[in-house]
Amino acid sequence: MDIGELKKQSDLSYNIAVAKRNALEKAESRLVVVYREHIFCADPQTINHVKTLSEMHTSPFYILDTNKNPVEITDPKEFLQLLIERNQEAISSYHQMSKTFERRGD
Amino acid sequence: MKKGVLLFCFDTIDHEYHKILERCVYLIKKNLKLEITVVTDIVTYKRLKPLGFVNYKLIEPEIGNRKNGQDWLNVDRHMAYELSPYDVTLVMDIDYFPFTDNLRKFLDTKYDFLISKNAYDLTNRNSFDTRRFSIIDMVWATVFVFRKCEKTRMLFDMVKYVKSYYSYFCDMYRIYDKRFRNDYAFAIALEQLNGFISYDTLPYRLPTLPPDCKVIGMDDTGLAWRHNDQINYTNDQDVHVLNKEVAHV
Repeated sequence: MDIGELKKQSDLSYNIAVAKRNALEKAESRLVVVYREHIFCADPQTINHVKTLSEMHTSPFYILDTNKNPVEITDPKEFLQLLIERNQEAISSYHQMSKTFERRGD
Repeated sequence: MKKGVLLFCFDTIDHEYHKILERCVYLIKKNLKLEITVVTDIVTYKRLKPLGFVNYKLIEPEIGNRKNGQDWLNVDRHMAYELSPYDVTLVMDIDYFPFTDNLRKFLDTKYDFLISKNAYDLTNRNSFDTRRFSIIDMVWATVFVFRKCEKTRMLFDMVKYVKSYYSYFCDMYRIYDKRFRNDYAFAIALEQLNGFISYDTLPYRLPTLPPDCKVIGMDDTGLAWRHNDQINYTNDQDVHVLNKEVAHV
């Protein structure tokens, strides 16, 4: 057992874990969008909620922003497009970063 | 509607804050693309290199706190309402480096005042869990957005009132650190003015590098730091740097 090697592995794992956590935080901060003067998070819950309402409910419909204030959505298609675009921009950036973590761990 | 960024910057004997300001202004112009007004004093102003189109407001700063035996001129934030030439203002600490345009969108909301309650520790140690240091939620006056209106004017008046009787409010809210902090002054004012119930916040944790992290490199996209012989970095992510030695990187 080489304690130096173990320490090196431990340090590497720690660095990767911190970098991964920070990359996820970065992605989550990119999920925040402003639409019609209200703030939303382009997370799976909001996307699914808007998609469901747009399919099952006649327009306009109402949802809550991040401060729990109600917002009238008159153009669900436009809103959904914004949410999906931002979600995928943030998550694909996180995906790119996670590839570098894999390489660092090799 | 006029929108812009308001920054406060005062050199002290110990720190050349104007060097931090120069970096911050560059990043604001590059990423936020907003007009900038700097509140400073004549001594600091004379040390600044030309920064392009930037407005300046010269004031005589109030003597501030001492932190770790060093002066810290940081108690003029309550004057942001009077000093801002904008209808909607983003107020930022100069050691908050906007490597993204994330804050830009918050100037386009209907909210009169937005501030964050949370900071994110980039070293993953959760060192900004401030709840245990008082019985009131702290806010981070590092970054906030306000729209000029009667309600916001009253909020800033309330901050001034809290500042005048800060030791009383410290005792009332069992705030552990008795030195004046803008963070608590705004937290108290917001709670008092909102009838002791919740208020609107930024859904955004401010990425923050604790003071024991030494920044060892910085470019247009991010920075690297050393902590406990470990080197880490982040890019395309805003960073609030608490170690003032960043002025010399």
